Amino acid sequence: MNHSVLGFFPYADRLLGAAARLKQAGYRNITIFSPIPIVHEVDHVLGEKKNPIKFFTFFGSLTGFFFGTTLAFGTAALYILPRFGKPVWSVTPTVVIAYETTILLGVFATLVSFLFFARLPYYKKRVYDIKIGVDRFGLLVRAEEEKLRYVEEVLKEAGAEEVKRIYED
Amino acid sequence: MSNISYREVNDDVVRTMTETGRSYYIALSLCLVGIVITFGLPWVYQIYTGQGVTGLHSPAYWGVYLTNFVFWIGISHSGTLLSAILFITQTPWRRSIYRSAEAMTFFSVVTAATMVFVHMGRPWNWYWTFPYPNQRELWTNFKSPLMFDVFAIGTYATASFIFLYFGSIPDLAAVRDRVAGWRKSLYGALALGWRGTDREWDLLQKAYTFFAVFIIPLAVSVHSIVSWDFASSKIPGLNKTIFAPYFVIGAIYSGSAGIVTLMILLRKAIKFEKYITHVHFDKLGILLVVMSLLWTYVNITEVFTGWYTGTSYELESLSYRMFTTPFAYLFWLMIACNTFFPLLFVFRKVRVSIVAALLISIGINIGMWIERYLIISTSLPRKFLPNMWRDYFPSWVEISLTVGTFLFFTLLFLLFVKLWPSFSIYEIKEDIGIPMEKKGH
Repeated sequence: MNHSVLGFFPYADRLLGAAARLKQAGYRNITIFSPIPIVHEVDHVLGEKKNPIKFFTFFGSLTGFFFGTTLAFGTAALYILPRFGKPVWSVTPTVVIAYETTILLGVFATLVSFLFFARLPYYKKRVYDIKIGVDRFGLLVRAEEEKLRYVEEVLKEAGAEEVKRIYED
Repeated sequence: MSNISYREVNDDVVRTMTETGRSYYIALSLCLVGIVITFGLPWVYQIYTGQGVTGLHSPAYWGVYLTNFVFWIGISHSGTLLSAILFITQTPWRRSIYRSAEAMTFFSVVTAATMVFVHMGRPWNWYWTFPYPNQRELWTNFKSPLMFDVFAIGTYATASFIFLYFGSIPDLAAVRDRVAGWRKSLYGALALGWRGTDREWDLLQKAYTFFAVFIIPLAVSVHSIVSWDFASSKIPGLNKTIFAPYFVIGAIYSGSAGIVTLMILLRKAIKFEKYITHVHFDKLGILLVVMSLLWTYVNITEVFTGWYTGTSYELESLSYRMFTTPFAYLFWLMIACNTFFPLLFVFRKVRVSIVAALLISIGINIGMWIERYLIISTSLPRKFLPNMWRDYFPSWVEISLTVGTFLFFTLLFLLFVKLWPSFSIYEIKEDIGIPMEKKGH
């Protein structure tokens, strides 16, 4: 059964050092908590993460473009209103509408994909400590129980102020 | 800022939300009463009596309401736009000011929207502006710039709110961890269960970059489209191709000045002098000089464009605006406020002087309001033939509602400061630096 060890560090470099050692030792389920984004530093240690959001943003924008175009062209077809020999389907104003809907749906798609991949909103109890929101960095490692002793040792050696074991139900 | 600790940042920002002095309640009450008197009652009177209580008449069917609309949309332009540009260019001094600037954007768009409803005359028919299936099978005219407006401003308001809320999620979580009672429930819900994991930060940064990239062309399109409301007509004084860049530059200019005014008042009111420092006003002052020069250049081009047409009606429109009283007073006051006074920011002493920055920034927005007023009130009343000429001056109802918009904006901002982390906790911490044992922090 998998359990976790959570260690708190006052310094980011100490935490990153511990994370690097554990990764080298073969631990894969590592989560880093921080009060500020340390994305580049974490990527350097744990490897760069994929960016799934970009596909959603792209297809959201594309959908928005087609939506805007269809809306302007389609409604013009549904109610044909001839004016002074001007074209029923006019490209220039349609581009303006499509431009705005491209951005609108692109923004929506980005937001929804962020929430989906970050698994938010999530209101049930999860591993967290309010110190993380202030000035402490946390390192959470999930592994089989027999491997957790080594994790605790590494965290303490790296300078963790507090190390606690978390048993999941 | 390196002498400030992370904990201090959390304490200071949460303090602004939880500790409320008597002066805050007095300001809030005055705003509420002021809105009822200057906005609510006159609007009810206008709806009950009809648009005849305004100074609008043939041919000047557009007046101060649309001046206010363009002005507030303009004010909205620097918050989100500046925040997005400075985010992409990784400018560090953005971090202390951007949250309030983004809020300013959203609230100005909302304030601008109130003017559309007031101008409508029959605001209960507002939904007619949206394309929806109806029994008459009648659709909105997508070839009209007014329809462009509905889409552009709707998108801008939505995207600005998402940009503001999204960037606040980590801070809402930090507030959630510090408060109790109803606040705990409220911020717990708003924080969405944020924990600050490496995965969450990574996705937040990536998505935020996309939002920033979307916001920049969106903001440019919004004020271009607002300018087309005027420029795509055939009215002398309005029918100019320079209007889109003229409006966009004017909007960024007035928005930047709005940020300076707001930051000065905010840092004093909530005692945030250590976070909003002279460095910020120094940089914003330089930005205002650049915008002032750009605005002046485009303004001169706009005047010359009219002059070079050589048509009697364009020349009349120009002379009516620049040399005929009372508009000439306003025109030259605008030039003084927007072209000459901001040049004082060339001197560093002026840029870092809070009093000077406050006065000049307020002056810029007075000038920018006048600019929009002159565009509308010196063009429509001076249509092609003299028998169509009829001056436009706002009535007391329009003036009162104009004052009301300023109170409405102030009210929204007062509520924001109390209910939302008005400074980005995590980005100020980024400014302080990542705590590393080797370097210290």
